[in-house]
Amino acid sequence: MKKNIRYAFILLTICAVCAFALGWTNSITSPVIARQEIENKNKALQAVSNGWEIGEQKEVAGESFVTYMIPLTSAGKTSGYIVGLKGAGYGGELTLVGSYTIEGELLFAQMLTNSETPGLGKKSENEGYMDKFKGTGATSVVPTTKDMLSDSDAAAVSGSSVTFSAVAKAIKGGSDYVKTLGGAK
Amino acid sequence: MKGNHMKELTKGFFKENPVFVIVLGLCPVLGVSTQVSNAIGMTAGVFFVLLFSNIIISALRNVIPGSIHIPAYIVVIASLVTVTEMVMHAFVPAVYSALGVYLPLIVVNCIILGRAEAFASKNTMLDSALDAIGMSIGFGMGITLIALIRELFGSGTITLFPVGDFGGVINIPWFYDNPVRVLSLAPGALLLMGYLKAFFDWNTSRKKGK
Repeated sequence: MKKNIRYAFILLTICAVCAFALGWTNSITSPVIARQEIENKNKALQAVSNGWEIGEQKEVAGESFVTYMIPLTSAGKTSGYIVGLKGAGYGGELTLVGSYTIEGELLFAQMLTNSETPGLGKKSENEGYMDKFKGTGATSVVPTTKDMLSDSDAAAVSGSSVTFSAVAKAIKGGSDYVKTLGGAK
Repeated sequence: MKGNHMKELTKGFFKENPVFVIVLGLCPVLGVSTQVSNAIGMTAGVFFVLLFSNIIISALRNVIPGSIHIPAYIVVIASLVTVTEMVMHAFVPAVYSALGVYLPLIVVNCIILGRAEAFASKNTMLDSALDAIGMSIGFGMGITLIALIRELFGSGTITLFPVGDFGGVINIPWFYDNPVRVLSLAPGALLLMGYLKAFFDWNTSRKKGK
């Protein structure tokens, strides 16, 4: 009994010291991380805005792929939307932003957060990865399977089909959502 | 005495190289070695965790009873990995993002627990620190060699870290236009690891033969 209490006390002391170290580190790093996330999101919104004015963010509930939407205006008229998207990647949830015309055609998209495999699914962060989806969603279909891609694009996503599928379905979901918002207002 | 310290430091380089001789920590070696920058980032993470876990466990070796040593080691190692993860996320986000899931997986990297169990729990803090430094350098050499070969032949590039005008990626002519794609994929990593392990075994047995 005495021995067990001693063991418990030793483990408790080690855990308490570790918890203190973790809490102290977190107090230093969490404000930096939060600031970075806001900066990254703002940069991504600017990058996909097509030069149009970015409006107020509105949360979207009950959609499988859409988390929020932001209207884009040009000369006081709604010209498109930025849509916050989510998907189920290989390493868990991934989030991205996409901008669409009011007809649902993808203008730009950018990955925000993901836990995909380095060297494979992580390539979805690379500049140019989203090019295969640009211009789709209105008059042409969003490619959601590898056989809808050109040979070079299919080779580029080889080994990361789950990531490609997650991104493609999210972009298609965003396009379908934008179409429900109606035309120019 | 000095010779003994030197031996603890250098044994991890070749004689007891954790990747090619002891064959520990192969999960991150195979998973992360698609780019040289990932290999360097993973080496930095393993170096920090291994150094401090060896020092702490060596310092507590007379305090932690044998019957609870594994949970105690795991708590120490998991805490160090979490600290590494938070610091990398805040101050080197590019490396944090590139390492992805392999960074938290350092907790279950056999090198860390293996060295804690086999060395740090039985030796002084100085020797444990030297062992950690040597093993980390050996791990870094192994993973960087594999990453260099995989990235050069598999993608025709060498990815380092962006500094100033340098974007971080060096395109190697000919290799860039004629990549051996399989080397970028998981089967390529296993094939290459097998060939390199065979080469190191052959080299060791050749030296023993002399």
